[in-house]
Amino acid sequence: MSELEAGPQRPARPMPGPPGGAPAGGVRSFIWLIVLLFAVWLILTSSFHWQELIVGAALSLIMAIALNRVYQQLGMPPLTPWRLLNMIAFATILAIEIIKANLDVAWRVIHPKLPIRPGIVVIRTELQQDIAKLILANSITLTPGTFTLDIIGDELLIHWIDVRAEDIETATKLIGGRFEKYLRRIFK
Amino acid sequence: MRVFLSLLALAVIALGIAMTLTDIPFGKPKADIATHYVENGREDTGAVNIITSVVLGYRGFDTLGEVAVLFVAAMGLGAVLATGTRTPKANGWEPASLVLYTGCRFLFPLIVLFGAYIFIHGHLTPGGGFQGGAIIASAFLLTYLGCRGRRVHEAWSSAVESLGGLTFVVLGLAGLTAAGHYFLSAFLPAGTLGQLFSGGIIPLIYIAIGLKVGSELAGVIDRLVEESQ
Repeated sequence: MSELEAGPQRPARPMPGPPGGAPAGGVRSFIWLIVLLFAVWLILTSSFHWQELIVGAALSLIMAIALNRVYQQLGMPPLTPWRLLNMIAFATILAIEIIKANLDVAWRVIHPKLPIRPGIVVIRTELQQDIAKLILANSITLTPGTFTLDIIGDELLIHWIDVRAEDIETATKLIGGRFEKYLRRIFK
Repeated sequence: MRVFLSLLALAVIALGIAMTLTDIPFGKPKADIATHYVENGREDTGAVNIITSVVLGYRGFDTLGEVAVLFVAAMGLGAVLATGTRTPKANGWEPASLVLYTGCRFLFPLIVLFGAYIFIHGHLTPGGGFQGGAIIASAFLLTYLGCRGRRVHEAWSSAVESLGGLTFVVLGLAGLTAAGHYFLSAFLPAGTLGQLFSGGIIPLIYIAIGLKVGSELAGVIDRLVEESQ
């Protein structure tokens, strides 16, 4: 049934198998998961009534115990004040970049000469964790004009509305550099 | 002659339909059950969400039937699609992109939590066990799309499903022996209207339905994935 097409070669990614000894960081991902779940619960219920809090806490605890194994593989960063500060800084930079890129693309669209030079470039990232690569890729996609097509190993395929540099180093600096600085501080 | 007979038969049928239709008082509420539900639903059942008060308070037995229908449908699908043995894991499947692979693992607990929120608050906000269960199943669907090769743990899935159905029936039987003396009677205190711990057995039943529907639909998706391999 399954036809193997000769697509681009991907590095083999280990499928999450049965739990073979808890990797380091189990407690950290557990705290991340429980905090995240409880925060989402608070947003959904938008109530501080003691009954809601009890049910939310119990549910977060049960789900964090059940699903911790999946989160362990993501590589969540430790929760330290310095990293939290950098997360806020990253969110601010991302918001500013999104606004700037929106204006830039809008300018290109209404310009009579349509100054675009679309193409696909490859950039490189030093980030190791899956979740860090995901955040970088999604930040690049969120800013109009650049779009992450795929991540292969430590390289990201980017569709760029205005290709200003074709070599990896310059493209990396122009597209990924603004986000990667903060992500590196958060995840290292 | 045949034409005449056909016309006669048609006339009889037309007359019958016309007589039936003229007897139905369109636009007039024949029974005032609906107004009773709307006006007294909150006090009778303790559920702020009037639809829930009808579905689980007044017509709980009917809902048990619906759950049974869904169960039979899922079983039928399993019987039709069953290939005998479960096929070995994802051989020859190209893994999904890292973005999808990581994103679905990150989102899975959050979607399940959202589904749980929907069925736990079934008596307070729009939604309920069926909707919450469908949301939970969608989390499993995302896993099948993004993390190919991951499967529902069959023993756990059927355990949760059985537990959900059993809870529903046991709550109904408990009503039989307790204060109400009929199947699925509200034997638990209704509590303060609008709080999470209110509505007697309604939230408990919705949690049972939510778990049951979620595991059932996840099982259906699992069967379909198995078949398309």
